Amino acid sequence: MICILALVVFGIMGIFSATHRKLAKEAFDCVFRKITFRKCHTGLDSRIKSGITGRILKFSPSIGNFTFKHFESISWIFTIIMIWSVVAVAIGGYNFYVYGNCNGPVENPGFCIFDPQGKNDVTGIGFQYDGPFVYPRIDDDPSLGNNNSKVEIIEFGCFLCPYTKKAEATVKQIISDYGDKVHYVYRDFPLNERHQGSDLHAEAADCALEQGKYWEYHDLLFQNQNMTNHTTVMIELAQQIELNMTQFNACFESMKYKDEVQKDFEDGSKAKVFGTPTFFINGDKIVGPHDYQDFKKIIDKKIRETNES
Amino acid sequence: MNPKIREDFPVLKKGIIYFDSACVSLKPRQVVEASNEYYEEYPACAGRSNHKLGNKVTEKVEESRNTISKFFNAKKPSEIIFTRNTTEGINLIANSFDLNGTVVTTDKEHNSNLLPWIRLKELGKIKHKVVDSLQDNTFNMEKFEQILGEGNVKLVAIHHTSNLDGISVPLKEITKLAHEYNAKVLVDAAQSAGHHELDVKKLDIDFLACSGHKMLGPSGIGCLYGKEEELKKLNPFMLGGETVKESWIDRYELEEIPHRFEAGLQNYSGIIGFAAAVKYVDKIGRNNIHNHEVKLNSKLTHVITGLPVQIIGNRNAEMRGGITSFYSKMDSHAISLILNQSNIMVRSGAFCVHSWFNKHKIKGAVRFSSYVYNTEEEVKVIDDFLNSRLLKMLK
Repeated sequence: MICILALVVFGIMGIFSATHRKLAKEAFDCVFRKITFRKCHTGLDSRIKSGITGRILKFSPSIGNFTFKHFESISWIFTIIMIWSVVAVAIGGYNFYVYGNCNGPVENPGFCIFDPQGKNDVTGIGFQYDGPFVYPRIDDDPSLGNNNSKVEIIEFGCFLCPYTKKAEATVKQIISDYGDKVHYVYRDFPLNERHQGSDLHAEAADCALEQGKYWEYHDLLFQNQNMTNHTTVMIELAQQIELNMTQFNACFESMKYKDEVQKDFEDGSKAKVFGTPTFFINGDKIVGPHDYQDFKKIIDKKIRETNES
Repeated sequence: MNPKIREDFPVLKKGIIYFDSACVSLKPRQVVEASNEYYEEYPACAGRSNHKLGNKVTEKVEESRNTISKFFNAKKPSEIIFTRNTTEGINLIANSFDLNGTVVTTDKEHNSNLLPWIRLKELGKIKHKVVDSLQDNTFNMEKFEQILGEGNVKLVAIHHTSNLDGISVPLKEITKLAHEYNAKVLVDAAQSAGHHELDVKKLDIDFLACSGHKMLGPSGIGCLYGKEEELKKLNPFMLGGETVKESWIDRYELEEIPHRFEAGLQNYSGIIGFAAAVKYVDKIGRNNIHNHEVKLNSKLTHVITGLPVQIIGNRNAEMRGGITSFYSKMDSHAISLILNQSNIMVRSGAFCVHSWFNKHKIKGAVRFSSYVYNTEEEVKVIDDFLNSRLLKMLK
């Protein structure tokens, strides 16, 4: 089985190196003989097995011994993983060709790392903003926790971004666990090119803030993220939390907070935000919906630092 | 052995433990320098051109021939013919000696001393008889005498020290008995020339072939010793430049020995390096080398005896000189490749003695072969590796 792996690995390396090309030929010969039910006579399998075992033995006799005895089974496992990977890549390639996204015909295509056409770039503005990095400020945006806390967590989020939505639970746990020890601020970074209408959501949320019900509205927007008719949904959600609809409609229709949202976006751009959510925690940057533990490590460190200073 | 010897072998600085000297020995600095001297100081041809460089090469080559003839205690330097290696020396005899009878070998000859005779047998030129070894792989004198008694044995072509198991044959008794039956003796001394005292006069050897690369010398050079009267009887099979005194369009007059056997331009650098190697070996002393190897091999044998493996040949290390070969359930190549990862270099497989392995239905073996540069510390490292890391795999 190791010969199949060797053929792939040496085949790729053989593109650049004549030595590996020779090994790839040996591996091919070995694979060909094996699929025709003959014994591999190049000794390549034996050389690889012994070479790997010899290296492991230097550090751990027991693992080396195990590897030597179960080499064929281990080779099978790696071969299956390799075949699975090749199939997954092939499916991704097919999806990309047919649907324009490696994830296939799903409602929400999500992030596709295979991006030869540069579609991913629409979520980032790092390429658009060439000026110097400017660390973002708290500004006058809605916040939770202790306004006087020295540990500031600034999130740049987009109400229609699934990753921002995913990070919501983590944010809530942070607020719940750290309470007054941190000062959390949500700033708008609507990714309109990818999530059309996200700027309207941000403006609507600011209109809710005007009536002191920002966080209720904020949560509802994320809970209803998949609903497509933005304006209707936003009005319905405003009614749900019993906002003064005359005031809300007047605020929303007059685009009262358009400049405020735009300012947030510009501040995010200057801070080199290229996707949402992006968090800034006292100088450290976290991009994406990371696990709670990742945040915890940084927040604890920042709390220690502020206590010491 | 003086530990300073190791300083003469630059490759040892790489931290290797080299136990494959039966295949190719390492080269001391002195040999490399002597070989290089030819290319740097007098890179011309010998015996042909009469300019200064040509004369210098001629002088150096004949000086080397003299050194090597003394090393084997030959009667005259002209009894030494330069060859590429032992294989070429044996093939020279196989193709130049008027055989027309039986050639006797043992059952554990290197391919170099087996295939030429099989070929001649297949061509119908000789009969080939084999002396099977005793149970412990030592020479079966009784069987040998029996074959000689069957008559018409023209040549006994025999190894001195086996590259399979390191066991040496009793050369003196063999030559004595062979001569009683009017057979000549050709000795394959590839494994013994740099390890044992070899006095061709005392042992009454008719022909002896050896290689430089197994006795600290350069690759691609060896020699064939032959008694003067025997060499004169040979009919050279390879002719060309320097092998004739004169030639006409329809005939030629052969050169004197040894030049009539050295066709074409020779490996002068190799010859000069070979002589340097012989001097180096002589300086240390072949008895000292042999004793050193036996001492190391005794310790190595003690280590290997404790493993679940089978040593090839007699278990007494003294009988195996510097060689220990063993086989086990584990593939021999796998063992050597694993050792190689820890910079321990040994030989695996059939060591060109396929006939013996096929006869005994053994797939292959691992061979440790030591030389002057090996040490007891290295044996300790091998002991540690075999016992602490490889033991479970051997079971």
